[in-house]
Amino acid sequence: MSDTNPTGIRAYAAQIPRHLLATTKFGPVDPEAPVRRARAVANHDEDSLTLAVEAAGRLGDELPGPLVFATSEPPYLDKSSAATLHAALELPDAVPALDLAGLRSGAAALRTALATGGTAVIGDVRTPAPGAPEELGNGDAAAAFACGGDGPLAATLLGGAGMTRELLERWRLPGERHPNVWDERFTAEELLELLRATAAAALADAGLEQVDHVVVACANQRVGKPARKALGAAGADAEVEALVGHAGAAHVGVLLADALDRAKPGETILVVSAADGADAFVLRAEEGVAAARRGPSVRDQLAARTPISYDRYLRWRGILEIKGAPRPDPQAPASPPMLRRSDWKYGLVGERCRACGVISTPPGRVCPSCGKHDEFEPVSLRRTPGTVVSFTADHLAPSVDPPVVLAVVDLDGGGRRSVEVTDLPAEGIAVGARVVPTFRRLFTSEGVHNYFWKVRPVEAS
Amino acid sequence: MAARGIGGQVAIVGMGCTRFGDHWDKGAEELLVDAVDECVASVPGVTLDDIDAFWVGTQGSGMAGMTLSEALRIKNKPVTRVENFCATGSDAFRNAAYALASGAYDIVMAAGVEKLKDSKYSGLTAVWPPSDGTSVDWTAPGAFSLLAPAYKDRYGLSDDELRATLTHIAWKNHQNGALNPRAQFRKPVPREVIESAPKVAGPLGVFDCSGVADGSAAAILVRAEDAYKYTDKPIFLRGMAFVSGAGDGMSHTGYDFTTFPEVVESVRRAYEQAGITDPRKELALAEVHDCFTPTELVLMEDLGFSERGQGWRDVQDGVFDRDGEVAVNPDGGLKSFGHPIGATGLRMLFECWLQLRGEAGERQLEDPQLALTQNLGGQPGACVSFACVVGKEPK
Repeated sequence: MSDTNPTGIRAYAAQIPRHLLATTKFGPVDPEAPVRRARAVANHDEDSLTLAVEAAGRLGDELPGPLVFATSEPPYLDKSSAATLHAALELPDAVPALDLAGLRSGAAALRTALATGGTAVIGDVRTPAPGAPEELGNGDAAAAFACGGDGPLAATLLGGAGMTRELLERWRLPGERHPNVWDERFTAEELLELLRATAAAALADAGLEQVDHVVVACANQRVGKPARKALGAAGADAEVEALVGHAGAAHVGVLLADALDRAKPGETILVVSAADGADAFVLRAEEGVAAARRGPSVRDQLAARTPISYDRYLRWRGILEIKGAPRPDPQAPASPPMLRRSDWKYGLVGERCRACGVISTPPGRVCPSCGKHDEFEPVSLRRTPGTVVSFTADHLAPSVDPPVVLAVVDLDGGGRRSVEVTDLPAEGIAVGARVVPTFRRLFTSEGVHNYFWKVRPVEAS
Repeated sequence: MAARGIGGQVAIVGMGCTRFGDHWDKGAEELLVDAVDECVASVPGVTLDDIDAFWVGTQGSGMAGMTLSEALRIKNKPVTRVENFCATGSDAFRNAAYALASGAYDIVMAAGVEKLKDSKYSGLTAVWPPSDGTSVDWTAPGAFSLLAPAYKDRYGLSDDELRATLTHIAWKNHQNGALNPRAQFRKPVPREVIESAPKVAGPLGVFDCSGVADGSAAAILVRAEDAYKYTDKPIFLRGMAFVSGAGDGMSHTGYDFTTFPEVVESVRRAYEQAGITDPRKELALAEVHDCFTPTELVLMEDLGFSERGQGWRDVQDGVFDRDGEVAVNPDGGLKSFGHPIGATGLRMLFECWLQLRGEAGERQLEDPQLALTQNLGGQPGACVSFACVVGKEPK
């Protein structure tokens, strides 16, 4: 893999949802109880794409193309979700956006981004059937890696390898909610062999015999432990896995992000992932590794989560449906207005009046402050925090997790939004609360997902 | 700005209003027939054929002027359908009055109707044009409940002080409605019941919300100089204004959700036309848009009845009770009379009509001379507002 131009990772970010599930027993949960094993849980308005937007949004502007989005749970089949991610990141039209699917797609995205100097964004939401052995052993997360572009590398790719094996191990028909799993005792043997062979090939490619950090990602719960033992791993990746669950396609990304969080310059990392074959990468952390992390570390995110009850988890995933107030289904958004307003809907681009300087939303042709027509410049608001002017908790509005909290928010630097608030702490919010935008799936109606920007409270720091 | 208005030029000489509430046995067209028939019958010697032109307000219970002309089988007459959110009925009246004042017609009718109870949904619903899906789909209680924390925060009220104020408004309007045979809710409601009701949005419980109702109301208007040809007790339009909001309260910073700027401006113009300088002293009654209890609280300040930040004290002191300085919603208001959207503005005028003619029965005020109707639609930060002063005398 090595050639004259070193390739590797320039920036990375992980996104662990703010909620965890540590029990499959019904009833209230103790928020203070210590958590040893848990799964990360995406909120009801999060999906593989919104988690990906959250992670990739931290990487900064001008991400190198192609943009590769990978997940085992694509929001659409025929339609590209990478295109939605592309729009939410305000990337130029000329940047190609590719979709990869399946449990192996996380490693495939990483491979593609490393080979092309692009950006890999991996998001996943995993929903084993209630009662399945892996119910708490799977989780939801995202990770993003910018590989090309300018500037020093945070981690240099020293070598890699890949093998493919047709194997019925876990699978899901289109539209099926829960994964099917073959007897893991059988598949573990096969995957373990592939994993070891691929790791050995990657190490040989890199010219190394041992590394400082080992990352093993495999959905089969019987593979990780023997694989780590065989590779002489300390098991730090297993600590993260125990608190996230196997995050599907995103798992390899989350564990790699955690390894980069911990790696000192000069230290080497072996990343190996097994699904339908195996993929392995050998990286060396460089001087810029600490600066390459964007946003909080994986472990800081793990420590800042809130436990939720099992029934709430089941409602969020649509497994337990509750009957709210009788209200009409929300109207699905229409294609022409979505395209006309694409910058606003996906990039949260408002406008600043060139005549009076006032920022207004949503964008229109006339300044609400001075009345000037067609005299605007775009202003990106997707990272702009704001302050709650007033708010309500609406029990009438339809939701899987009522009440719907809505607020009027004044943005720092000007501008106002009337917006839904998500990821609320138990104590709720108050006038004056600080919030930041977050890209969410508002609802799905008539087969159309309606994505837009909500706000969530700024974490206490 | 030439907003001279037509105060003193127009009179109401006949009115009709159905009972508001659940009319399971009637659709919008049947309700319109009830209100129009009562209205026409209230003017001796006048038949439907004598009316030159019609305006019919409905938010969603019909399309076009045929909502009225087909229901009443009116032939060869102009009928205009009006829609302006919850101020629909008032705007039907406003446009009818202007047409009359222009001299184009001699006798006109404004009618309003809403049939809400055929829906299977809770609360009000609306059908919007196809969109990009980025607008918050506010429910009415959600949108109006924004007033409560904002008012509480701005004027430093405790939760209990705010609650007691909202409770008094609901309590008062139910007391008034209990005396009104046409009201949807005809029972007084104890304060404890109001306060223990299930929450709908923010601090608002079920009893903080107006009644979803079916109903219809209608008025016959003539020029002021012709009024006494039709009745001994006409009531006269003294001032009237309408403001359609720019929605800027939701679009950029500045609006603080403790007032309706659209209401302040519309009522300022109506008072100016009517020559009213001290509304709390001069007005005997005000029919205001109490869609939710915090709306009525804020309106007491917007209408100039209370100083800013003092409305909550005045409410609790009974200033707006039926025996207070200004009787606010003596007919029970939207709260207990009910709120069939297209009919509401005309229902407000109907109470003024009864009160100024001395026909309000058990809730009759002592010799009222001037009355206000204030009707709004939309939501705080983005609304339309109608204000109108009517009196026993033309000037």
